[in-house]
Amino acid sequence: MFGFIIKRSLLLIPVFFAASIVVFLLIHLVPGDPVDSLLTVGSPPEQRQIITERYGLDKPLIVQYGIWIGDILRGDLGTAIIMRRPVADLMAEALPYSIALGASAFLFYTIVGVTLGVTASLFQDRWPDRTIMTGVLFGSTLPSFWLGLLLMLIFSVWLRWLPVSGARDVSSLVLPVLTIGLGGTALVARITRVAMVETQRKDFVMLLHAKGMHPLHIQLVRVLRHALIPVVTILALRIGFVLGGAITVEIVFARPGIGTLLVRGIMQHDYPVVQACLLMLSMAVILGTFLGDVLQALMDPRARVSLS
Amino acid sequence: MTKHQRHLWAGLGLSALLALSAPAKADELVAALKGAEVGVATYDMLKAINSNVASTLIYDTLIEQDANHGYVPALAESWEEAPDGLQWTFHLKQGVKFHNGVDFNAKEVADWLAMFKGTDFEYYLGAVKEIVVVDEHTIRLDMTRPDPNLLYNLSTPFGGIMEPGARKADGDNYGLTAAVGTGPYKLESFAVGQETVLVRNDDYTWGAKTAANTGPANIERIRLREIGEASTSFLELTTGGVDMLFGVPQEFLSEATKQPNIKLMTMPDQEIYYLVMNVTAAPFDDIRVRQAAALAVNQQAIKDNLFGGAGNIPSTFMIASLPEEKVADQFRIKFDLDRAKALLDEAGWMSGADGVRAKDGQPLKITLWTQSDSNFRRVTEVIQAQLKDAGFAADLLTFDSASIRDQYKAGTHQAAVRSYFYDNATILDWFFGGDRPGYPNISMFNDPKAEELRNVAMTGSKTSEEFTKNFIAYHEYILSQFPFAPIYEPVGNIAFNGDRVIMPETINSPVFQRAAIMDLKLAN
Repeated sequence: MFGFIIKRSLLLIPVFFAASIVVFLLIHLVPGDPVDSLLTVGSPPEQRQIITERYGLDKPLIVQYGIWIGDILRGDLGTAIIMRRPVADLMAEALPYSIALGASAFLFYTIVGVTLGVTASLFQDRWPDRTIMTGVLFGSTLPSFWLGLLLMLIFSVWLRWLPVSGARDVSSLVLPVLTIGLGGTALVARITRVAMVETQRKDFVMLLHAKGMHPLHIQLVRVLRHALIPVVTILALRIGFVLGGAITVEIVFARPGIGTLLVRGIMQHDYPVVQACLLMLSMAVILGTFLGDVLQALMDPRARVSLS
Repeated sequence: MTKHQRHLWAGLGLSALLALSAPAKADELVAALKGAEVGVATYDMLKAINSNVASTLIYDTLIEQDANHGYVPALAESWEEAPDGLQWTFHLKQGVKFHNGVDFNAKEVADWLAMFKGTDFEYYLGAVKEIVVVDEHTIRLDMTRPDPNLLYNLSTPFGGIMEPGARKADGDNYGLTAAVGTGPYKLESFAVGQETVLVRNDDYTWGAKTAANTGPANIERIRLREIGEASTSFLELTTGGVDMLFGVPQEFLSEATKQPNIKLMTMPDQEIYYLVMNVTAAPFDDIRVRQAAALAVNQQAIKDNLFGGAGNIPSTFMIASLPEEKVADQFRIKFDLDRAKALLDEAGWMSGADGVRAKDGQPLKITLWTQSDSNFRRVTEVIQAQLKDAGFAADLLTFDSASIRDQYKAGTHQAAVRSYFYDNATILDWFFGGDRPGYPNISMFNDPKAEELRNVAMTGSKTSEEFTKNFIAYHEYILSQFPFAPIYEPVGNIAFNGDRVIMPETINSPVFQRAAIMDLKLAN
């Protein structure tokens, strides 16, 4: 197991560099540059060249990449060109809000999704199963932008139970968490149900019934333990989305976060901000995948062999 | 613990708070900034690329503009310009203090002016040769050349006077955790992208007379929230989460009027929508075709049908309140469909059976660029239909605002619907200067006579009167060449809770900033 983890860890290094190249090229090849945002009415014509040289934007792309990745490896995320502050400071301010929102939403759809999936599997092909699956299907198709505004209208405007927007306290987390959570719940519920139904058909379950074990104990302990293996894998893959998957929700609810920071950076072509945010989000997804593999190997020895 | 780790823990602690949201206090005004002002990264005015209303409350300027764009004393109680324009002398107000107790005097101003060097705003003082402290309250600027626009530059939020010692001492944190000026409000806290909290400067008594109240301000505390999404900010107003919206999008105006406690106020704005034509690309390389397109734009119909009759109809490239907008009547561009059709006939573009004109077998087909913003799309669709009435067949091509500037630089565009937001005549130099083709000179206009007039306007004017006269001449010439057509001049809409906010009767400033807020009151 230890050897497996070491081997997978070493693979992260080339993946990191590949991700960094893609991230770097992505923003640099998109039309536009930050210099236009820095020029103001009255700037003399030579100001463009001055600014371009000041931020090293006149250097060949490969040189710019080399400088950037060298700084990253030294722990320096650079200084935002438009926002004029160390990128690390900007991300350190945004990250707690993204973690709070993402982690809360993650917890919500994990608990609710697994609960609904298990319930649906216990009443397989009967009305509770159909109701739950129809409900989660409907929930998963609603665009988060629209859903957020709808929840805002109901709970903030009509009922006045919750604040409309902002990030001042826990009450302002509820609607954003619900908005993200309802979509994630659908995926988790469906996978849990499928995994439960498949595991219920296995021989060992029949044996447990034959031995006289309580049916609920069989379902909620023995079957669920096995069914959680694919669920845990999917949840681990979604860890990356904890940080970056809430862009529209952050905008609708006027919450700070990595998503808002990234969007602002893209609109302004603030290269250091976009590069750092995208690299961090890429690594979050990659590490989530790695974690998913490790967890799967821990939970299922057969997986260790196939993953190796 | 590193600074980043401190930020992280502080942020985690903040987001883990269990306290319920505190309602707005009786002596606190909560307002949502308008969309264009969201995203200010710092209150260090020599680093910021944009500003918001808070900048005008933290910092005073030497000079302010009144509602007619005239210059009135602020921290400079008077000034003189030498007849040759090579010297400016400013007499400073006495008894003024910075928020940290440091006295405001000529040395502080000199030190502040010296900070412009090496920043992106160095050109503000590009014509200044030497800064001379004449005495404790008099400062003189010796110039290399006349610069009548100096007063404008010093009156903008970027001319807000920062306390040099505080800026130096706070280093990179200046503008984030502290911002020291002489303004009617002090910075209490600034959460970037979220909100700015200001507290009243109780020592403030030296406000400019653009406001009836010269200090201290009436409202004790102001919380300025940054809400980028228009629907969200509107819902905050209707639910009492904010007391004011500094900018209300057009689509919410009718909804706002339905709310019993919501009042609306309009003020002149600084924006112009216009149609720009690439003078180097067919068919707009023919001045008759450009003039025809310009005259085909029915500004009245756009104002009435798209903007509910609010706003102004521009006939030049500038907002109506600027003195340099006052060109001779024969240069003004006004809707005249018959004349537009006659010009196209004259240029050889004859009407076809399908209504589209053609010349030598080629249809009068153009591509009209626009941005993905909903206002731009609506305006561009109407322009497309109006051009069709004259015989143009226009296809629309939409770009996002971030990448469209790069597209202009390629020079392949024919026409585009754009807007700009500015309140000074130098906007002509910016958009029509021959040395900036592509962007910002989207019309690719580069005309020897225009360049001559431009140079005279920008660097040959000794006094404000000459500046206005020379810019009018430059403006008239540009108008005569039809590289653009004016479309619409919006007004600014401010919505407020009429039960909480008492608006002043008159506001003697171009936009809703320091002067208006000084006279603002909260109902008890």
